[in-house]
Amino acid sequence: MSVLRTQLAGVSRRPTRLLLTGLAVLVVSFVVYATVLAQEITKRSVLDGLSATPAAVDLVVREGALTTTELAAIRKVDGVAEAVGRFDTGAQFGREYLGITADPGSGPLAVTSLASGTFPSGPGEIAVTQRTLERLGMQVGATFAVTLRYDKDGKPLPPTPLKVVGVVTAKGDFGFQAYAPQPALTKMTGGNELGQIDVRLQPGADPQAVRQQLDAVLAGAKNAKPDERAKVATGAEVRQAEAEAAASDVNAVFAAIGMFIAIAVVAAGLVATSTFRIVFAQRMRQLALLRAVGAGRGSVSRSLAAEGALTGLATGLTGALLALGAGHLVPAVLGLFDKEVASPGFPLPAFAGTVALAVVITVLAVIAPAAAAAKVSPLEALRSAATTGARRDIGKLRWATGLLLALGAALVAGIVVLNLPARDAKDYHPEPMLLAVVGSGALAFFALIALGPALVRPALALFGWPIRRAGALGRLAAGGVGGAPRRAAAVSVVVALGVTLIAGVLVGGSSLRILADRETAASAPADFELTATETGAVVPAAMVEQLRKRPELTDVAPYRRLDVKVGDQELDINDLVVGAVPELKKIDVTAGSLADIGPGRVAISGFTAEVTGLTVGGQVQINAGKRTAKLRVVAVLPDSVPLGSAMTVDPADLTNLGGSAQYSGVLADASADGEQGRNDGRKAITDVQAAAGGKWKIDVLADKRDEVNEQVTLLLVIALGLIGLTVLIAVVGVGTTTALSVVERARESGMLRAIGLSRGGLRAMLTTESALYGVIGAGIGVVLGVPYAWLAVKALGVNAPLTLPFWQLAGVFVVLVLLTALAGVLPARRAAKVSPVAALGTE
Amino acid sequence: MQMQDAMAAVAAVDLVKVYGSGDTAVRALDGVTVGFSRAQFTAIMGPSGSGKSTLMHCLAGLDTATSGQALLGGTDLTKQPDRVLTKVRRERIGFVFQSFNLLPQLTAEQNILLPLELAGRKPDARLFGHLTEVLGITGRLAHRPSELSGGQQQRVALARALVSRPEVVFADEPTGNLDSRSGHEVLSFLRNSVRELGQTIVMVTHDPRAAAYADRVVLLADGRVAGEIDRPDIASVTDALHNLAVAR
Repeated sequence: MSVLRTQLAGVSRRPTRLLLTGLAVLVVSFVVYATVLAQEITKRSVLDGLSATPAAVDLVVREGALTTTELAAIRKVDGVAEAVGRFDTGAQFGREYLGITADPGSGPLAVTSLASGTFPSGPGEIAVTQRTLERLGMQVGATFAVTLRYDKDGKPLPPTPLKVVGVVTAKGDFGFQAYAPQPALTKMTGGNELGQIDVRLQPGADPQAVRQQLDAVLAGAKNAKPDERAKVATGAEVRQAEAEAAASDVNAVFAAIGMFIAIAVVAAGLVATSTFRIVFAQRMRQLALLRAVGAGRGSVSRSLAAEGALTGLATGLTGALLALGAGHLVPAVLGLFDKEVASPGFPLPAFAGTVALAVVITVLAVIAPAAAAAKVSPLEALRSAATTGARRDIGKLRWATGLLLALGAALVAGIVVLNLPARDAKDYHPEPMLLAVVGSGALAFFALIALGPALVRPALALFGWPIRRAGALGRLAAGGVGGAPRRAAAVSVVVALGVTLIAGVLVGGSSLRILADRETAASAPADFELTATETGAVVPAAMVEQLRKRPELTDVAPYRRLDVKVGDQELDINDLVVGAVPELKKIDVTAGSLADIGPGRVAISGFTAEVTGLTVGGQVQINAGKRTAKLRVVAVLPDSVPLGSAMTVDPADLTNLGGSAQYSGVLADASADGEQGRNDGRKAITDVQAAAGGKWKIDVLADKRDEVNEQVTLLLVIALGLIGLTVLIAVVGVGTTTALSVVERARESGMLRAIGLSRGGLRAMLTTESALYGVIGAGIGVVLGVPYAWLAVKALGVNAPLTLPFWQLAGVFVVLVLLTALAGVLPARRAAKVSPVAALGTE
Repeated sequence: MQMQDAMAAVAAVDLVKVYGSGDTAVRALDGVTVGFSRAQFTAIMGPSGSGKSTLMHCLAGLDTATSGQALLGGTDLTKQPDRVLTKVRRERIGFVFQSFNLLPQLTAEQNILLPLELAGRKPDARLFGHLTEVLGITGRLAHRPSELSGGQQQRVALARALVSRPEVVFADEPTGNLDSRSGHEVLSFLRNSVRELGQTIVMVTHDPRAAAYADRVVLLADGRVAGEIDRPDIASVTDALHNLAVAR
């Protein structure tokens, strides 16, 4: 115990040393607890929102065969104050989907609330959400033909005219929602099925008794088999289940975040090991003295481990407390900006868990250095070698382990490469392959840890040659780093971890972006699309000419659609001229080429190919009414043809098949770039179609494209942000390592000053050393990260292209070198302030 | 005690150095005035705590004095900013330490040329060749310090100190970590460099045998000059030290 006391006495004289060794663990504890709090805030804020099941609902009848008969019977049950039937039906408006949901519209059981106009009172009336109104081009007070009913073969019956009488707000607004009272909707659809019945009880009614009566009603339902019988649940149960579903979504997201944090925790552990090693080495004399006066090896290593545990406790507590403070500050600050978020409270188990985690990481990190330090022979007390990492070699065991791990990584990677899926493989499950890629990566990383010191000099030679060429200072710095390869390896490995992940995200992200571009090229081939709002209406040729004359628009490409039959299959085809739409160049083909489309030649979608069994070169017979045409397939696309059709043919062939001379729609691009160009283009189209009668709809497809692009960017930014944690830990590691190293190289620094190195020169040298850790780490990180990212992209099996975002990667390299250099600035300044004689006098 | 004239290569004028403050203050130098001539080998001697290392550090601009003047040629080092002192260390002064102080990751040749590199000056190849030959380390130039014996390391340090043709070479107990044969080699070399190269050397030592190689010995005790010996030999030096000890 007295050994521990002497160590602690030393620590208490210089508490900043303790802080430095534990800084990485402090940061990670902060992050862990802050994430827990963020999860709490999110969960509570989400649950505060509108629930799908209103609070007034006491009992819910669902999951079975329900009809309006049961509804009537339930209403008669004693104790029932109100019962509402719920169901929804899908309808078609022009080419758009419209979902109509039954809702009372008012009262405690309604899920919508009226925003303007009136709520429908009878058949033939609907209310829509605001976004639906805008998206489908509807107006309040106007009537629209909606296909509501289908015959028993699924063929649409003549459309029903529906009048939009009001606008409502509902829980989510996706742009295809309409509402009507249940009796009206039941009449309109002609059926009598219900999906669910919500029941409100009279005040004072006994829920259990009512429930039993409801069960009796359901049991007595006509034609109901026992397994089709609906079940009764309480409103509370249903709301709870919904809350849990919402929470589980939040939990899923945070589980993904947790994965990144776990990596940061590992990084913090590595940094802690390295810093403990340095600190113990600097105490070598003291420890040797203790051994010389009779302390045993076990006693010394145990006390060092205890010191580590205490460091973990102190830093874990500090980090978690700081996170608690920040977590409570966030709702307060957001409240100032009128954004209400819930307070996270004080999750005690998570707090204890975070502190425990910090202790565990530090104890694990300190074991090896403590054991190594305790091995010091008492003679060391008389000598003066106070450096770690003076040994250049890494011993046979470490070589063997490292090479074995590297071999393992290569083997697993090789297996993945051999089992990569073919272009459009069916039944391909990417999960085991991705797991294998991650596993190989982990093995490679451990190999890197084992072989690290041996790789420092080669890495310096490879990546650091510009610095080494930059005069005496550069060479001194390189020599300083290369002369302590164990220390350099310990720190650079963590930098490499962060950079590997970043490189992976950037490479994967750029492939993803190209993939997204391809997909949007098919669904959004131009900036604008003009179509008629009523089924069967057309875009007159005169209008197309008008559009072509407008300078704000370019690449105006009209097209026609036609419903045809191939064998028994009903398909929709179009005659879009592929060459007229520049965006279509990006599209990916499974076989053949889109440019080959011409008279007698057709491109088909993947779905069509599956259903008809056709391939490139095959002949397809297309029937439209009495006309028929035999065309040769020149291209097969992976999903659908542009504009969502099954085939694209030459305009001449469409005319032969009886296509009308009028166009179904027009595509156009904005001539000028940017927001202004797009607005001008949109205005031009709006003007043209308004002048011709205003019966057409404009889709700004470019918005969709932007949305997809933004989502990809958002995803990448979030991933990079999370990886930033690990990078932060790495930079902290470099800073603390440099700070601690400076102390033990005081003699060397003093000597350099004595023979004529200026203060600025010494600062520059130490900062350069710091930067070199970044150079080595980033270099190795990129070299590892890019191939693994390529492997993962291929293993996903989504046929994404392999890319190399060179400038992004170069930027990451430069930023990391700058960050690590910055981490060394403060220690360098402190080192340069010491007078040479004081430095020379140190032992 | 002779006050040297303006031809002195190095001189201290009423130099005072105090460490710490208040109760724990230590007057390492208590008003030292002494001069060291050009092309002369002078030894500074005294019991431990006499302030000899402190005097040398102040004269070399490694440490700042509390008051007084430390003159190198005509320049008063106590008044100069660190920038100037750095330049002085690079170009006008050479050092030899007791514990060699070579950079472990550089070869012997790189260590020797380091100060010149830092100054951005090209080494005089002839002088380099001459020094390494005279010091007998020509065959060891590509080796790292860990591959050299103590005597060889100190000789490398000597070459480093001399290759830039400094005005003065300061040596702090240069033979302290060497066996007697290596020590003899180092001291002979120092003496010969005075004769052949006209070098000025100021050496701090506690060993009378080392002091006997010098042209003059300055004795320090309790931070003050306590005597001088011209053309010393072991006997006269040991005598003087004995008298110092007895007088206290």
